[in-house]
Amino acid sequence: MARLELEQLDCWYGKTHAVDHIDLVVEDGELCVLLGPSGCGKTSTLRMIAGFVQPAACEIYLDGQPISHLYPGDRNIAMVFQSYALYPHKTVREHFIFPLIPAKIPKHEIEQRVNETADFLDMHDLLDRYPSELSSGQQQRVAIGRALIRRPQLFLLDEPLNNLDEHLRVEMRANLRKMQQDLRITTVYVTHDQVEAQALGDKIVVMDMGHIRQVGSPQEIYLHPSDLFVAGFIGTPPMNFINCRLERGESQVVLRNTHFSLPIQAPLAARTESLAEGKELILGVRPEHIRVKSQPEEGAIPTEVYVLEPQSNELILDLKLGDLMIKARDDKRELGFRPEVGQRVWIEFLQDYVHLFDRETEQRLGG
Amino acid sequence: MKILKRVLGVVLALFVAAMFLFPLLWVVLASFKTKLELLAVPPVFIFQPTLQNYINAFNSDFPMQVRNSLIIAISSTVISIILGSLTAYGFSRYAIKGSDFLQFWILSLRMLPAIAVVVPFYLVFRMLGLLDTHIALILVYCLFNISFAVWVLKGFFDEIPLELEEAAMLDGYSPPQVFLRVALPLARSGLATTAVFCLIQSLNEFLLAVSLTTRVAETAPVGLSKVQTLMGVDWGLLSAASVLFMLPIVIFTIIVRNELVRGMSFGRMK
Repeated sequence: MARLELEQLDCWYGKTHAVDHIDLVVEDGELCVLLGPSGCGKTSTLRMIAGFVQPAACEIYLDGQPISHLYPGDRNIAMVFQSYALYPHKTVREHFIFPLIPAKIPKHEIEQRVNETADFLDMHDLLDRYPSELSSGQQQRVAIGRALIRRPQLFLLDEPLNNLDEHLRVEMRANLRKMQQDLRITTVYVTHDQVEAQALGDKIVVMDMGHIRQVGSPQEIYLHPSDLFVAGFIGTPPMNFINCRLERGESQVVLRNTHFSLPIQAPLAARTESLAEGKELILGVRPEHIRVKSQPEEGAIPTEVYVLEPQSNELILDLKLGDLMIKARDDKRELGFRPEVGQRVWIEFLQDYVHLFDRETEQRLGG
Repeated sequence: MKILKRVLGVVLALFVAAMFLFPLLWVVLASFKTKLELLAVPPVFIFQPTLQNYINAFNSDFPMQVRNSLIIAISSTVISIILGSLTAYGFSRYAIKGSDFLQFWILSLRMLPAIAVVVPFYLVFRMLGLLDTHIALILVYCLFNISFAVWVLKGFFDEIPLELEEAAMLDGYSPPQVFLRVALPLARSGLATTAVFCLIQSLNEFLLAVSLTTRVAETAPVGLSKVQTLMGVDWGLLSAASVLFMLPIVIFTIIVRNELVRGMSFGRMK
């Protein structure tokens, strides 16, 4: 049972508190993604798990055993580095053999494993090449093979798809996921790309400035972000944030902004029950949850088309509302009309998907 | 216009190369000449070569002197590379208190003029009873060889991405094994460069050699200088001896030429 537990993991880089007392559990066979912007502490966390950085007092458990005092080589962990870390003076075959020597694996088994790995990664004809003779994608496969040939309990990946071009990245993403699922190996994957995180992870850990902001499945993080940071980080284009104020009319709850007055229904309204009148809030709505209409409608907010960003099957509209810029994303066919720059359009927020955040605490109003 | 520039460049390069190589060519030619041919004016380039100079060289103390030189130079180089690479690796991979100062101090030993330490060394070795021994010169040469090795090799170790060593650590290799199996092979060209320079420096050294040896441990540079007697210089003998003394280092450099060239082309580490 290769379950990973991090208990109060903490470390400093000089004066920077790189990782601030984080607790995390990765279940056996799970692919856990550490997601966050540069400098959030995700790579530091990975390096502490691997053993390259000694954390301040804390504990790491793998399969129930404490490992934080162990030498990296004794932890039964393998890693794919961002730069692949291939040895320029060794062939691919030698890369596969090298990790097996300290474990004193008998010669015939080494041969067998090398063949298995070459089969798995489809690398038989590349076994005698040197890293400088391989393409980026091939080098990455060598790095993966070199890591997995030891059959480790835990598999760590540090932004492995960064150096690949767009097409290869999408392809390798799927391959990696399939491989991880087939092998059922507990994996921790670090990335700053939230699209990648959503595609790969069983569980996403969103980190910022050394703290964990939220842990959850991709769906959960997308639909119910815990705070402003997570909401703004996930999703492309990012969520729109609009400052507004809570007002209670006789029959309905209204969000007032200098440019509009938006009545809200239950269940959204229910989340504001405990709040005082005039409370400062932030309304968050994703571009894909905004409907753009060419004609005025009840409850729809008038805006002006500022920029159009066509995508393959969608249209991203940059809409001007006074001094606010709102992005909306609609399927071209569903839109029903061809917007033009400068045109007046009316937008409607899908209330099932609208989020409200406390402007002070930046937490999402639950529900 | 471009072709003209190119041709001029090549001609200039050939000219400079010829200027540098000419003394060597002269010595090699001279080693095959008789006394008369050597002193001829205008100089003789086409002549009947003779091996008499080489025979004379082999019959003198010269072979013993070359043997001493080689023993001392090779020993000092080997010790310096071992100790120097370990030290350089330590500086490169570990945070050591005062490491900047230590490194500079080690480098400064290289700048030490031999003449400043000749007398103290003479006195120390005399007290230890080590005058005219191989070990004395080996130790003294280690002074500047180790310093050189540390400085050059630290640069090469710094070039090796730490991730390669971390990958080996994860695979179960202990730190000494990581040093031997990952860092050293990747610093091969640095090791070759250091070896060549240490050998050359040790073989050519004259002042300390002449001061600390008399007969038994006499080195080749000292021996060659003794060819200048009161009765004149046997140029033929001197030339032949010089050519013979050049050979070991030329052969060694040819053997490691690939490593030397590799060291000069960075971007190998992707």
